[in-house]
Amino acid sequence: MLLFLSHQSVATMAASAMLSIAGTGAGLGTEFISEFRQLGRVKSKFYERRRKLFRCSCMSGHNFPHKCIWRIPRKTNFIFKSRDSSLVLALGKENASENTDDLYDDLLNKFGKVVFKRNDQKPHSAEVDDDAESLSFAVEMAKVASEVKAADIKVLFVKPLVYWTRFFIIATAFSRPQIDAIGSKIRDLAEKKYGRVPTGDTKPNSWTLLDFGDVVVHIFLPPQRAFYNLEEFYANATPIELLFDNQPPFRS
Amino acid sequence: MIQPQTHLNVADNSGARELMCIRIIGASNRRYAHIGDVIVAVIKEAIPNTPLEKSEVIRAVIVRTCKELKRDNGMILRYDDNAAVVIDQEGNPKGTRIFGAIARELRQLNFTKIVSLAPEVL
Repeated sequence: MLLFLSHQSVATMAASAMLSIAGTGAGLGTEFISEFRQLGRVKSKFYERRRKLFRCSCMSGHNFPHKCIWRIPRKTNFIFKSRDSSLVLALGKENASENTDDLYDDLLNKFGKVVFKRNDQKPHSAEVDDDAESLSFAVEMAKVASEVKAADIKVLFVKPLVYWTRFFIIATAFSRPQIDAIGSKIRDLAEKKYGRVPTGDTKPNSWTLLDFGDVVVHIFLPPQRAFYNLEEFYANATPIELLFDNQPPFRS
Repeated sequence: MIQPQTHLNVADNSGARELMCIRIIGASNRRYAHIGDVIVAVIKEAIPNTPLEKSEVIRAVIVRTCKELKRDNGMILRYDDNAAVVIDQEGNPKGTRIFGAIARELRQLNFTKIVSLAPEVL
C-alpha cells in the first residue's frame, strides 16, 4: 500500500568487515577481550562497526515506520560478556555472505526490543508532566464549555490510540450561535490564561474543531454528533471523569 | 500530481467510489494538486442507494498520491494509489470514516477533522 524510503542505507559491508576483525581474535575467549581493550585504536574501530551492525539488524528485522537514528544503550557496547564472545567465535568460522540473516536474527533475539530508541524522545517523567499539564488544560476547557451550556461533554484520553494528540473534548451545542459562544469563550480563555491560540475552524460550523495541539475540541450540533459518532470511533480511549455536573442532552 | 482528468479513488464511506478531477482550487491556472489540496471533482462511479450519485460535482481533499511527498527530515512518503476524501463547502467530510493511512501534513493544512476520523496517520 505504501512505501517508505529512508536516507540511511543499510550498511551491508559492516557485517563482513566485523567478521574479519572477529576472525583474528577468535579462539582466545575472554583473554582476547582484555587484550583487545588495550588496543585503543582497534577497539574504537570495532566499536564503530559493531554499532553499524546493530543498526542494520534493527532495520532489516523491523520495518519500523519512522526515520530514526538508532541509539544503542552504552552498556551493550562495551561489556562483552561470555555469550558475546561465543558469538564472535561462531562467526569466525562461518562464511559471512551465507549466514548474515542468522546473525541478524540472533542479534535481534538478544538485543532486539531494547536496542533501538529514538533520539528525540523525552524521558518518561517529562511525558507524565506534559500529560498532567494537558489534562488540566482539557478539564478547564471542558468546564468553560459547560458554563456556556454545552451538553454531554466528554473528555477522552486518546494518547494511547493516536500519536498526534493527547486529549479530545467532545461537546454538543444546540445552535450555531451557541457553537459560536462556546468556541469564542474557549478561545478567549486559552489565549488569556495559557497563551495558546487554536487552529481549526474560525467560523461556527456544524462540526467546529479547535486544535490546540495536545488538546482537540470538537463541538457538534446534535445530528452531526450522531452522524460522525466520534465516541464510538474512539471507544477504546479512557474517559476522564469531570467533577462539575455534566448535563445530559435534553434534546436529540 | 493530480490534474484535471485524473481519476482518483475515494478513501471514505461517503458512497462515491471513483472521482475525476476537473479543477484544482487555489491559484488560477494551477497545474498540479498534491496531498492536502482541495479539488473540484465529478463522481464517476458511486455505490447504489447512497446520498451521492454519479455525475455529481463535489469538492474533495487529496489524501494519498502516487507522487512522492517529501518531508523536511528526508522522509519520503509514497502511496500505491491516488485517493481523495469528499468534503462539503464548509470542509466537513461527507463520509463518517476514512479508510487507509493518511499523511500528517493534512493536520497542518487544517483538515484535522479528516485526521481525527482516520485509522492511521503517518
